[in-house]
Amino acid sequence: MQIRIRTSMIGAAFGFAIALISGGFAGIFAGLVAGLISGYVVPQAEPLTDKRRAVGQGMIAALVGSVMTILGIVLRNMGIDPIIGEPLNILAVGIAIIGATILCVLVCVVMCVVRTEPPARERIGMAIVVGIILVTYPWLDQFLNLRFMNEVIPVLVFLLMALGLNIVVGYAGLLDLGYAAFFAIGAYAAAMVSSPHFGLSLSFWLAIWVAAATAAIFGLILGSPTLPLRGDYLAIVTLGFGEIVPIAIKNLDKVSLSIWNYPLFVDVDLTGGTKGINPINRPWLPIIGEFSPSNPIPWYFLILGIMLISIFFISRLRNSRLGRAWTALREDELAAGAMGINTVNVKLLAFAIGATFSGLAGAFYGAYISAIFPESFRFDVSVMLLCMVILGGLGNMSGVILGGIIIQFADRLFLPQMSNVVQKLIVASGNESLRDINFASDFRLLLFGLTLVLMMVLRPQGLVPSNGAPRVLPVAAGEARHD
Amino acid sequence: MTNILETRGLTKRFGGLTAVDSVDFSVATGSITSLIGPNGAGKTTFFNTVTGLYTPTSGTIAFAGRSLVGLKPHEVTAAGIGRTFQNIRLFGNMTAVENVMVGMHSRMHANVLGILVHSARVQHEEATARAKAHALLDAVGLPAQRADDLSKNLPYGDQRRLEIARALATDPQLLLLDEPTAGMNPHETAELTQLIRRIRDERAITILLIEHDMKLVMEISESITVLDRGAKIAAGLPKDIRSNEQVIEAYLGRGAASMAHANARNTGEPT
Ligand SMILES: Nc1ncnc2c1ncn2[C@@H]1O[C@H](COP(=O)(O)OP(=O)(O)OP(=O)(O)O)[C@@H](O)[C@H]1O
Ligand SMILES: [Mg+2]
Repeated sequence: MQIRIRTSMIGAAFGFAIALISGGFAGIFAGLVAGLISGYVVPQAEPLTDKRRAVGQGMIAALVGSVMTILGIVLRNMGIDPIIGEPLNILAVGIAIIGATILCVLVCVVMCVVRTEPPARERIGMAIVVGIILVTYPWLDQFLNLRFMNEVIPVLVFLLMALGLNIVVGYAGLLDLGYAAFFAIGAYAAAMVSSPHFGLSLSFWLAIWVAAATAAIFGLILGSPTLPLRGDYLAIVTLGFGEIVPIAIKNLDKVSLSIWNYPLFVDVDLTGGTKGINPINRPWLPIIGEFSPSNPIPWYFLILGIMLISIFFISRLRNSRLGRAWTALREDELAAGAMGINTVNVKLLAFAIGATFSGLAGAFYGAYISAIFPESFRFDVSVMLLCMVILGGLGNMSGVILGGIIIQFADRLFLPQMSNVVQKLIVASGNESLRDINFASDFRLLLFGLTLVLMMVLRPQGLVPSNGAPRVLPVAAGEARHD
Repeated sequence: MTNILETRGLTKRFGGLTAVDSVDFSVATGSITSLIGPNGAGKTTFFNTVTGLYTPTSGTIAFAGRSLVGLKPHEVTAAGIGRTFQNIRLFGNMTAVENVMVGMHSRMHANVLGILVHSARVQHEEATARAKAHALLDAVGLPAQRADDLSKNLPYGDQRRLEIARALATDPQLLLLDEPTAGMNPHETAELTQLIRRIRDERAITILLIEHDMKLVMEISESITVLDRGAKIAAGLPKDIRSNEQVIEAYLGRGAASMAHANARNTGEPT
């Protein structure tokens, strides 16, 4: 019972935070999120087989979730809104509370019940629940006036990258601190062929393949010198790559090449230097036409589609001869070799395939913002991705997705919104000296770090521990035994 | 009778230490051969050199008529040598079945493209491998209900068996076992002795065994080679090794040799 409530608190905390930070009808969405997370995490912690027990469990978790969400709604509307001068609308609060409770209970209980089904049907059931929420989300966003849509799309881009990084770090156990480099390489490869920059202007649908292939090739190139390295050494070298790539991109704006004394080309602008490449072609589809920057819905479904297809293929890789070889490599490289695995090939494949997904993400991102700059791919992107992979549970795809969503939402929605609210509170309190503090940017990394430390202390195995995933980073695995 | 494995002047040095010292060694095809010697004699180093974990400082290794010098561990495995480790080295966070399936890696052919499109060949290969893995677990006596347990959660004896199943999965002609009964009780040791015999008899796999349990060694081996401080000091039938003065000396130190000699005649064991 105690464990059950503690597990439900993960979802409940989300409901509370979202309701508190984004007022209005966002409370309803908060209830949905609380239900969704609890419905996923609770049966994960304690497998359910009996339907009636599942309903009971779901009700308890949903109860915890809705109480916390309602608390958030009430605190926001009665505590904060009056101070920051927003009018109190009792009817709206009532609707938010009822809506949040209904959605929380519904989603949580349905998900717990689905978990009692045999594996094949369970998977279909989960896919239907999650599918309905994902497909209706854009209209939910509009209807509830959430205005999260412009943040949801980059969140999905980061999730796609986290899934790729998970292949390298989670499956194969190769600690890669420079993974954002492949995001940059993919983005630039797509931008070069799909923009007026070189006059090529290929369609997005072709450019994305160019990006994937280029990223994979660079995965091989950057992976090969690291082959004999393990643990900490590998981390340091990949860290170096992560730094070199953006700097190289910044400086590849005047490239000259001559063989002996015959210049092949002089002062060619490969990457646009600090100015980047702009504009980049947007995707075009029949009926929809060219994707427009003002309508996020087609972009949302495009990146969602890319992600779902990626998940599908990654899980095929995971449950194959190659996936087993990756795990064996992570568990014991020497024994893996002795069991017939060509560790060099398998490592290179992990780097190349992992990089591919980052390349896809880069191509999408470039087209989405229609411009690309060297500054978008710094070290903190790599660290952020690594945190996403670790937080949810190393090596476990659904864990990585959940951890990724948490970190991304904390960073893109929660902190800015919270900063906004705090700002208004400060203004209302009339304290002039605090006025210039911008919480989102000044405290972002502090709060981010604090969240991670708390997570690691409270739940070191990650949010969704998988049986079969390592509990620690592969850094310490450097020592060699031979007997 | 042909020799499946033959080394000539095999030497492995670590800095100033000569762990394996010009060893001429042969394993007859289809035999159960044992490699014994006191702690630190160089037995494990000999295995590691043969299986490509170490490159020999000098000397030759011929396996089924082909040189193994310079091959990588996975190439040695593909050539037909399977092995276990003295300190169990299973893939702890993989299930027992998965561990065995990893052993089949070099006998499987699925490539990235086939895996992504889930071709009929890949599906068939995967299903066959899984069935074969379960059969191997059964053959080494791992309880069926343990097949999907993570290998790190298995009892010690089962971990030792699983290592043998995983090595068998590489489809070897020669199986190297490094102290397979270490840490086992007499009952488990007796079972394992049977298992080793069955592997040779039923699967026609030649066995090279490192073992400290002299009762087992004397009972099971058709030929024994003794290493001491890296060098081969004796080789022959169990009954010859049992009464070999140099061997007794190596195990018990000079001085004690004459006394132990008499002792060994009485008990039939050099230790
Ligand atoms: N990788 C290594 N580097 C340096 N010295 C080593 C290495 N491996 C083994 N040795 C040394 O080589 C010698 C032989 O060791 P080895 O492990 O082969 O002995 P062994 O016969 O297997 O002993 P045991 O019965 O205790 O397992 C020992 O002195 C050991 O310390
Ligand atoms: Mg040894």
